[in-house]
Amino acid sequence: MRQIPHGTSLRVGEAWAIAFTYFTVAITVSLVHSTAGTPTWVIIAATLLVNSATATLAYAAVTAAGGSVAAGVAAGWLTSTRFGVLAAALAPRLWPQRWKRGVAAFSAFDPNIALANREEEDENARRVYVAMSLWLVLPWWLGASIGAVIGDLVTDPKALGMDAMFPALFIAIIRPQLTTQRARLIAFSGAAIALGLVEILPGGLPFLIAALPALFALRGSESGNS
Amino acid sequence: MLTWGVVAVLAVGVYGQRALGMALIDPNRISVRSRQVLAMVPLSILCAVTALQTLSSQGALVLDARVAGIVAAAALSWKRAPMFLVVVAAAAVTAAVRLIS
Repeated sequence: MRQIPHGTSLRVGEAWAIAFTYFTVAITVSLVHSTAGTPTWVIIAATLLVNSATATLAYAAVTAAGGSVAAGVAAGWLTSTRFGVLAAALAPRLWPQRWKRGVAAFSAFDPNIALANREEEDENARRVYVAMSLWLVLPWWLGASIGAVIGDLVTDPKALGMDAMFPALFIAIIRPQLTTQRARLIAFSGAAIALGLVEILPGGLPFLIAALPALFALRGSESGNS
Repeated sequence: MLTWGVVAVLAVGVYGQRALGMALIDPNRISVRSRQVLAMVPLSILCAVTALQTLSSQGALVLDARVAGIVAAAALSWKRAPMFLVVVAAAAVTAAVRLIS
């Protein structure tokens, strides 16, 4: 199986799958904003500058449901706090120079951080992070621009099952990590907490609280069964 | 509807949080135990995102065609199918269930 970059565990097939997913998801997200009345150029600017589907979608969902602009922005910020937490998890393994990490921060998404973190060596984690960021951000920008331009051609992205692509992608990323009982416990707890809190707390908070099961990593680490 | 002002405010807030985690906190000051926990944070959060994107919609728990798509994705993933196939199958199964229901 071919790896990119060479010597890492990132396979070409995985990179293509993520690129394709972000491309189609970007089209979907742009169509959602388009149907909400957002002008084409604002959608493209949002894609390039905010660089997060969940943040703009949370804003759109809150304001469409009658929430204020401030509530929409707060929801957008809250849903993206996870990028900060994910970035902090990978940061010690990336470059010692702060400005390089500052540049890298702009494309801190879920899949590139997860796949970089999968590498045993820090050097390979860096290379996978850079490669995967490009494989993710370029199709993401391209797809969003196409979606913004074609606007009303695809009237119903849900009819094509596009809303199932993101969670399916995450399952494919998570599955190889579920090798230990502790990892499975953390995974199950994270999902259960999010589902338990989603109807009680505003958007974004369930994601943050669902990070807490990671504390199980400390439990029993003395016994050496990591 | 997004406006230029909202885009600017969201962009600053989202990048700020990314930069906070990635660059503003000195990694050398993070202890080994903290690193052990931080290494598991992505798994925990990704599972939360997956669960909510499968079983909720706009802050409410929902059981719809996506579940069928994700069950198919999980089964294929468990059989070590390529990621591309997992994602396409999830969309196809979800679309098919919506079509017949």
